[in-house]
Amino acid sequence: MKKELKLSRRHVIAGMAAATAGTAWRPVWAASVAPITIVINQSPWFESFRKTVELYEAESGNQVELDVNPFAGSLEKQRNSVRAKQGQYDILIMNSGWFTEMYAGGFVDPLTDIDPSFKLDPEIFTLGDTVYYNADKKTVTADGKLMSVPVSPLIPMLYYRGDLYAEAGLKAPRTFAELEANARRFHEPPARYGIVQRGARGPHTVAYDFYPYLYGQGGGIFKDQSSGDYSVTLNSPQGREALEYYIRLAREAGHPKTAAMDQAEVIQSMVTGHAAHIMMVIAAWSQMDDPNKSAIVDKVEWAPTPSMPGLPTAPGLGHWLAGIARNVPDDRKRSAIEFLRWFQTKQAQLATAKAGGIPVHAGVYSEPIADERKYRWMKPLAEALPHAVNVYQFPEASEVIAVLELGLNRAIAGEITAVDALNGMADEIHAVMEKYKYKTAQLEPLR
Amino acid sequence: MTVPAGLKMARKHGASFGDDRLWRWLTFSPALGLMLLLSVLPLVNLLISSFQDISWADGSAVRTFAGLSSYHALAADTLFAAGLANTFIFAFAAVAGQMVLGLGLALLSSKVTRGRVLYRAIFILPILIPGIVIGAIWKLMLNYDFGLVNQGLALLGIMPQDWLGAPETALLSVIMVDIWHWTPFCFLLFLAGLESLPQDVFEAARIDGASAWQEFFHVTLPLIIPTIVVTFAFRLVLAFKVFDEVYLLTSGGPGTATEVVSFTLYQRFFTEDRIGYGSAMSIAVIFIVSLLLVIALSARRQAAAS
Amino acid sequence: MSGLLSARSRAGLIHLLLAAAAVIVIIPVVWTVAAGFRTQISLLMGELLFTPVGSNFAEVLFSKTSDFLLNYRNSLIVGISSTAICIAIATLAAWSLHRMRWPGWIVHVFLAWTLIFHMIPPVALAGAWYTMARAVGLDNTFTGLVLAHATLNLPMAIWLMGVSVRDVPKELEEAAFIDGANMPAVLWHVVLPIIAPGIAATAILAFVFSWNEFAVALTLTMKQTATVPVAIAKFAQDFEIQYTQMAASAALSILPALVLLLIAQRYIVKGLTQGAIK
Repeated sequence: MKKELKLSRRHVIAGMAAATAGTAWRPVWAASVAPITIVINQSPWFESFRKTVELYEAESGNQVELDVNPFAGSLEKQRNSVRAKQGQYDILIMNSGWFTEMYAGGFVDPLTDIDPSFKLDPEIFTLGDTVYYNADKKTVTADGKLMSVPVSPLIPMLYYRGDLYAEAGLKAPRTFAELEANARRFHEPPARYGIVQRGARGPHTVAYDFYPYLYGQGGGIFKDQSSGDYSVTLNSPQGREALEYYIRLAREAGHPKTAAMDQAEVIQSMVTGHAAHIMMVIAAWSQMDDPNKSAIVDKVEWAPTPSMPGLPTAPGLGHWLAGIARNVPDDRKRSAIEFLRWFQTKQAQLATAKAGGIPVHAGVYSEPIADERKYRWMKPLAEALPHAVNVYQFPEASEVIAVLELGLNRAIAGEITAVDALNGMADEIHAVMEKYKYKTAQLEPLR
Repeated sequence: MTVPAGLKMARKHGASFGDDRLWRWLTFSPALGLMLLLSVLPLVNLLISSFQDISWADGSAVRTFAGLSSYHALAADTLFAAGLANTFIFAFAAVAGQMVLGLGLALLSSKVTRGRVLYRAIFILPILIPGIVIGAIWKLMLNYDFGLVNQGLALLGIMPQDWLGAPETALLSVIMVDIWHWTPFCFLLFLAGLESLPQDVFEAARIDGASAWQEFFHVTLPLIIPTIVVTFAFRLVLAFKVFDEVYLLTSGGPGTATEVVSFTLYQRFFTEDRIGYGSAMSIAVIFIVSLLLVIALSARRQAAAS
Repeated sequence: MSGLLSARSRAGLIHLLLAAAAVIVIIPVVWTVAAGFRTQISLLMGELLFTPVGSNFAEVLFSKTSDFLLNYRNSLIVGISSTAICIAIATLAAWSLHRMRWPGWIVHVFLAWTLIFHMIPPVALAGAWYTMARAVGLDNTFTGLVLAHATLNLPMAIWLMGVSVRDVPKELEEAAFIDGANMPAVLWHVVLPIIAPGIAATAILAFVFSWNEFAVALTLTMKQTATVPVAIAKFAQDFEIQYTQMAASAALSILPALVLLLIAQRYIVKGLTQGAIK
């Protein structure tokens, strides 16, 4: 019995020695840095990311594994990994909905802590400064440390029917008044609706659709998050103007079932030719010109979402950022940095664009590719990106989103008035902020 | 019935086998082991977390004792209240529909010999489809502008309905989809139950001149009551967990018309990452469903006794 | 009671009812499978007539980003092994609990416990199991997922097998036992033939639940071990639901499963019934 045990121990030691020898040998013939794993979600832009990663592998000889998940599953797998003792994933592709959770929880390392020489290319869009986090002040502001590199700069754009506009001799609408006039003009229900809005209640559905209206009319949800003032300003006169405008558009130039329309159905209305305008995340662009998916090939044009005269366009961010997990070995963190260093170059971003992706490097938008018909969304997007709004700067935002989803949906469905909805939501959001001990206050209720 | 002839071997053991401790433990321990290994930790975890507040700092959890505050907060959660109310309606309507239809189909198809395999194959089909596909497909079929259902109604000259968007029909539509999806579950179990019934009882009933109805109520039904009870219990639990279909069909809307409790739970527990509060909600739901089952079971016992 | 004619017309009526139900059940299924042969725009426009295309199936099966065949193999491995383990364990346990002399409280507490376990929301369960699997290195392995699925289906299987086991006449077991049969022989030759239909039905359900299970499979697998539902969920993306490819993969997921189940059911029932010696 004892003899056997000894023997097996010796075997183990021999095996371990062999294994060590194996690893010691590896760099001679294999990758120059440790292989890394990236967790990402499936999406229309994933294919371009995959091709870009393949290009990196071919150029550098380093290995990158992609764990591709359904959209709803990506956050779950990231949370599981970063909360374990040792993480599975080196690079997390984080959505605007959860990057603050990862920053504030200490789950991703500042990039400059891993490699002090790492610098963000000055032409990379910083997207409402969401790549930075100030841990002391707990704010997402440029005075913080660099936490991530943008991967996909998604924001909503106005999709409109260029063919109808050309026929009527119109130009792309810049203001809400123009949008309303044009939507009414093209409103011929049930064959075609002037605009189709995304009014359904969902994970982040009607609220996300509402931000360009809210911020474009000069409203907002909080007073000044960057300085730590979370006073609720949702029920301001501007907020009321925005919501009443949204509802008027829905009732008088929109889909009769706006309160039930989700993202897929809004896109469906557009590609089947039943909508003259939609406001939709730019990621859906490739479906518009695909004859297998669209009955309006080559007819859609893009513009920044409208705003009030004197105010800039104000699309809400729905972007993706790449951060490096805290709980992985140092050599893998360094490999991950190498990948990000390469990924943010203009050359890599141009490759992304050519593969159908949406580049995060401003330089790409002035390349010849941006003049191609196929990429006609690039110029308006580049115009809008510097104005993109980071709607939430705190990790508990999903509770606020849940309040907005329900309140806005009920107002659009006509269950309650816009004023009651705004006052009610402001009350609830205020309670949420108070619960988590943020500095907050309330406006006088609207009447 | 005859004792299997092949078993007439040497008579060694006199006592009943139930006394054999070795066999008793051998047959039970795999199940006990697996359940202890994989179910105790999650449940205990859930229970402990429900009395805590959990936040994250520097990559690790900070747990603070919160007493019963999460349970108190449940009472004020309007979404939870709406979810519970809808789930009650949903669960009882859907499960009742499935039980009745499942039993009917099982009875009918046990009566035929020709095409039996074909019927069985068709009636099983819906549960083979993943929940998320059911949601996506029915969403398209119930679509207001382009859906198959409204197209069908148009042929009959009926105005298109906003099945999933109108508060009056949304929950009903979700219930119908669920009945379509899960009736096969009941059908399959009832059919198995009917097939294993001893045939001699039916012959006796027929000789006594019982009508088809009498045979059903006095012979078949009492015999498959155990199957009905277990099927009901598991369908009820599954109905309280309904998620995939609702996720794509309505996401709980319009307003809170189709908010189901598993949806609220997912929102609070996962999306908002409130582990303590979500755990308390899970425990509350488990308690409520258990209570329902106890009531249903004791009602059946009383009915059987009287 | 009934003459030849009325028996015949009764059979006709039964067939009529069954056929009507079959049509209602099958229309959405046919519509789903047909969607797999359409272009997305044809489906979205709600066209009733369409020219079939094979591109969706080609995309699902052979495109570079799709691992469908791998997912398929994984689902078969996980589904079959977890079902076999679950049914074996559940049958033994049900027989043990209902037919052996366990103290009543053990039986009741255990059965109640399984039911309570069954009520745990998947969100809570998946996270806890991930932590456990990661601690012992069973994440991203078939062993981990097979054990998880076997356990998930165990409560239902134990309860259902319990119903079947209680149908076995006690006198039959006792007679066999008095005849000198040992425990495995009684189980194999007396009990199993009688509960065969129950086993088949339970096995089908356990397999189907494993085949379609999403939440736990998602957290416990990665690329190499991912199952079919995880792959299918990827078609419901943000910004784009790829209905036609989803339908194609759903069709691919239904049909062989159905064939397998029909064969399995015949085989299980026949195999087990043959154990009985008349």
